[in-house]
Amino acid sequence: MEELLDILSGLKPGVDFKNEKNLIEDHILDSLDVMNLTVELNDEFDIEITPLDILPENFQSVDAMYALITRLQDEG
Amino acid sequence: MAYTSYVYLTLFLGITFLLYTIFPKKYKWVVLLSMSYLYYIAASRLWLIIFILMTTMSVYFGAIWLEKINDLFQSVKKVLDREQKKVFKEKLIWQKKMVVGLMLFVNLGTLAVLKYYNFFADVLNITLFHHIHKSLPFLKLFLPLGISFYTLQAISYVIDVYRGKYKADHCLARVALYLSFFPTIVEGPIARYDQVAHQLYEGHSFHYENLTHGAQLIVWGMFKKIVIADRANMLVNHVFDDYIQFSGLSVVIAIVFYTIQLYTEFSGCMDIVRGSAQIFSIHLPENFKQPFFSKSINEFWTRWHMTLGAWLRDYVFYSVSLSNPFKKFNHYVREHCGEYFTKLLPATTALLFVWLCNGLWHGASIKYVMYGMYYYIIMVIGMFMEPIFLRITKFLHIKKETKYFQLFQIVRTVIIVNIGMLIFRADTLTAAWQMFISCFHNFSLDFSVIGNLGLDIYDIYVIIIGVIIVFVVGLLRERGIHIRESVAKWNIVFRWAFYLAGVFSVIIFGAYGYGYDLVSFIYAQF
Repeated sequence: MEELLDILSGLKPGVDFKNEKNLIEDHILDSLDVMNLTVELNDEFDIEITPLDILPENFQSVDAMYALITRLQDEG
Repeated sequence: MAYTSYVYLTLFLGITFLLYTIFPKKYKWVVLLSMSYLYYIAASRLWLIIFILMTTMSVYFGAIWLEKINDLFQSVKKVLDREQKKVFKEKLIWQKKMVVGLMLFVNLGTLAVLKYYNFFADVLNITLFHHIHKSLPFLKLFLPLGISFYTLQAISYVIDVYRGKYKADHCLARVALYLSFFPTIVEGPIARYDQVAHQLYEGHSFHYENLTHGAQLIVWGMFKKIVIADRANMLVNHVFDDYIQFSGLSVVIAIVFYTIQLYTEFSGCMDIVRGSAQIFSIHLPENFKQPFFSKSINEFWTRWHMTLGAWLRDYVFYSVSLSNPFKKFNHYVREHCGEYFTKLLPATTALLFVWLCNGLWHGASIKYVMYGMYYYIIMVIGMFMEPIFLRITKFLHIKKETKYFQLFQIVRTVIIVNIGMLIFRADTLTAAWQMFISCFHNFSLDFSVIGNLGLDIYDIYVIIIGVIIVFVVGLLRERGIHIRESVAKWNIVFRWAFYLAGVFSVIIFGAYGYGYDLVSFIYAQF
């Protein structure tokens, strides 16, 4: 989780990622941010996020992203 | 058979609604499918139906083929070890890519030949064949009605099945109806299979609220189209056709009127389309969300022609940015460039594909390519200059949350969009440039020129009042107030007085009859 928070803070400094629950709906992260984030998550967590995983609900909060990473790691 | 014609609104829609209501629930889809094909034939040419049938059949069988490959993997993955699973999966992914490639080749290939052949022949003749004194012949090609819209829907369906978002549909009628539903065939919205296909196929019983709300939406769309857009069209044509004769202020007014025309026409058409669907209790996605309240160009494109933007995001932007070659490019940038470029270079490169597709989708000409590039360049400049803009706002102690600053952002976006509209409407790029220059060249605030722009002052007043009404409705929607729902709660007398006032305002102030031209929908040509 800490690693994920570091990546997010590097991507978009100044955002309270710990408490923000509507990152996509509130337009804090746009499609370009999601793209950059996807590349970093793929590298850092050795997963493969596909276009199918790029749904608003998977990037709405840090918890949602963590759940996505865990699921993709389990699927191997 | 235009959506604003009385033949469509009273006869076609009326008969379809009547048949839909009396048919048993199980067979209501038969009414929609038959009437959709009847509409297609009536609005187009009989033989052009071959193309929509070909697209339907190809994606129907293509999706089932993809599903069989998906199922094969699911059935054997339990008996394979991790390494075998990986090898087998890669093999099947390659097969799936071949199937999707074939689907794209058939459907995009048809669209490319019919819509873009002459454009590319022209480009090749000028650039390549010019030197060897040869040229490709130009062909007289027919463009099937709605091909740019139903092709995108077909591709979204087959790619979603490829990605495993949902299973292939084994019901051919449902796929056919999804691709040919008569309200959406001419101008969209570009709906997704999982949003509408099941709604279209399952029968809906008569629903009074949906009927009245749908009818209100149609009247509202008619108001925007024939009271505002068709009237503005006369002024726009008058100035754009002979712009050299006009003063700077006249050209500026014509550009603003074209923006008004395109917005009220396209969003008005979407209201008629969504209203037509709603009377059958079918809810189509929205295509506009008060775009002129946007504070940036990025935001504008999430509120204007939303279904096209979402399609380009999901099937071009993410397909490009998550592809293997792009991943390698991304890693290269990370290793060799600093943090600033790492953030921006891959994103802006992927966006280039999006805006090239956006421009080309609108039309087969260099003008539309430049229209896409115009927005692309503005976005790229905005992204690269962001740190500088931040420093400037900090230095000047500008608070971004203040209403004045937000108003400035909205006005800035509106100006940028108007320049984009100039490129979109002008006959050529040269004409667009000359008109842009003439805005400044011979400019004075002499509003008496309004009388010489091809419209009576009465028509100008009608447009201005119409735009104010559209603006107020937009403002209310921005604040979460929905007129239809609010009016539905009114006393019956006031409610019906309001409805009848709406209908009569369209009948009385509609720009039709002697002295007015019948104006086709602009987006129908795409």
